[in-house]
Amino acid sequence: MNWWCFAQPGTAWTWQWQPLMGVWLVMVLLIWVYHRVLSRIDDSYESSRLRKSRRAAFALAIFLLWASLDWPLGPLGASYLASVHMVQFLAVGIAAPALLLLALPGAAYEPLRRYPRLTKALSDLTHPVSAFFIFNIMMTATHWPGVVDLLMPTQLGSFVLDAAWMLGGLIFWWPLIVPVPERPGFHSLGKIAYLALNAFLIRPPFAMMIFSASPIYAIYELAPPPAQDALNDQQLAGAVMKIGLAWIMFAGVLVIFRNWMLLESDRPESA
Amino acid sequence: MSYQIKPLLKLHSLACASVLISSLSSCGIPADGDSVGELRGTVMEVPILKPDLVLTDTEGNFYDLRAETDGYLSLVFFGYTNCPDVCPVHMATLAGVFDELAPEVRDAMKVIFVSTDPERDTPDRLRQWLGAYHPSFLGLRGEVEAINAALAEMKLPGIAVVPGEHGSEPIIGHPSAVLAFGRDGLARVRYPFGVRRADWINDLPLLLGENS
Repeated sequence: MNWWCFAQPGTAWTWQWQPLMGVWLVMVLLIWVYHRVLSRIDDSYESSRLRKSRRAAFALAIFLLWASLDWPLGPLGASYLASVHMVQFLAVGIAAPALLLLALPGAAYEPLRRYPRLTKALSDLTHPVSAFFIFNIMMTATHWPGVVDLLMPTQLGSFVLDAAWMLGGLIFWWPLIVPVPERPGFHSLGKIAYLALNAFLIRPPFAMMIFSASPIYAIYELAPPPAQDALNDQQLAGAVMKIGLAWIMFAGVLVIFRNWMLLESDRPESA
Repeated sequence: MSYQIKPLLKLHSLACASVLISSLSSCGIPADGDSVGELRGTVMEVPILKPDLVLTDTEGNFYDLRAETDGYLSLVFFGYTNCPDVCPVHMATLAGVFDELAPEVRDAMKVIFVSTDPERDTPDRLRQWLGAYHPSFLGLRGEVEAINAALAEMKLPGIAVVPGEHGSEPIIGHPSAVLAFGRDGLARVRYPFGVRRADWINDLPLLLGENS
C-alpha cells in the first residue's frame, strides 16, 4: 500500500484501484482543521449566502485536491503523463489554494494579529512583490527536469513537490484574498496587474516543454503505456500549464474587476 | 500609502535567484548532463557478432538477418508486442528519434524487432504494432528454439515464459537492451532500458562513423 502517488519507472499501468492513504489522511486533516477554525469564530456577520459560498469553495477545494492526488489521476500524473501532471499542478498549486483561502471568513484570520512577529513575517512573505517571485521561483523549481526526475520517484519526494505547489499557491493568493495583513496600497488595479502579469509571464519550464526537441522529463519519456508519444504529451503539458494558468488568472481578474465596479458604484457621488 | 521600500530591497536576492534560474534554461547544458560527442550506450568489452539467423518478416518472406542488414547500422531488439513496459518504451523512443535524423543517417540504419512470442505475435499483429511506432521498423518472427540458440550464442538471456496470474496473459522474459550492430556486423554497444531520445540522437551518428 502506498501513501502518496509517485513515479514508478518501468511499471506498466493497471486499472486496478490503488488506495493512497496519505491523500485520504490529508483530506481528513483539512476538513477537521476547517471545522475547528469555523467552530471558534463568529461569522454570523456574513450573509447566509456568503457563508454557503465559502463552504462550497472549501468543498470544491477538497474535491479538486482529492481528485488530482488520489487514484487514478495521482499515479497517472506521477508516472505516465506529463499533461496529467500539469492538470494536477493547476488543481493543487493554483485553484485549490485560492479556494481554501476564500473558504475562510475574514474573522478566521484575525487571530494572526495577536502575534506581531508572525504578522510581520507574513507581511514580508505575502507582499505582492515577494509573493510574485516566491510563486514563480517555486513554479520553475518544481517543474525543473532535474528536480522532477529526482523527487518524483519517491513518495516523500513527490509529497514534497505537491506541498511546495500548495505553499506557493497559498503565498501567491494571500495578498489578493486574505485581509491580514492589510495592504491599503494594493488597490484593485494593482491586483489586476498582479494577476495579468502572472497570466502572461513565460516561465522557463513552459518554454522547455513547448520548444524542446526531445522530452525533458525522463520519468515521462520512459513511461510505458498509456504514455505514447512523450514529446507530444510534454507539449500538451506546456499548453495546459500556460492556458490553464491564464484562465485561472483571468477568472481572478474578472472577480476583482467586478468587486471593484460594485465598490465604485456604492461610493456616494461627490457634490 | 505606497509600498514599503524594505520588502522591495529584500526581494533583490529573490529577483537574482529567478534570473539565475531563467538563465539556466538557455545555457546549452544537455538536460541529462551527459557529455556530448561520447557514446552514451553501454560499450561492451567483447563485441557480439550478429547471429546467423533466418527469420520471417511480416509479409511472410524469409529474412536472412546477416545478409539483409549487411552494410547497415542495425538496431536489433528482442521483444514482444504484448510487453507492458520495456518493448513499447524502446520502440517509442526510437520512433521519436527516427524522423529527426538526417536522411543519410536514417537511410544507413535499420530497426529490427525480433519477436520472442511468435505464437501471439502473428504477422498482422506485428506489422500493426510496429507500424504504430514507425513504418520502417521491421518485425521478424521465427522458431523460439532458433531465437534462443542465437541469444545463447550472443551470451544473452533466453526467452522465458512466465504464466500469468489469475488467468492473465503470460509474461515473456527477454533481453531488455537494444543491440547496435555496426556496418561490420559487430555490436560493440548496447542500449538498456532507460536510454532516451537525446542518447540516440547523440550516438547514432557516432555509431555510423565507426567501422564505416
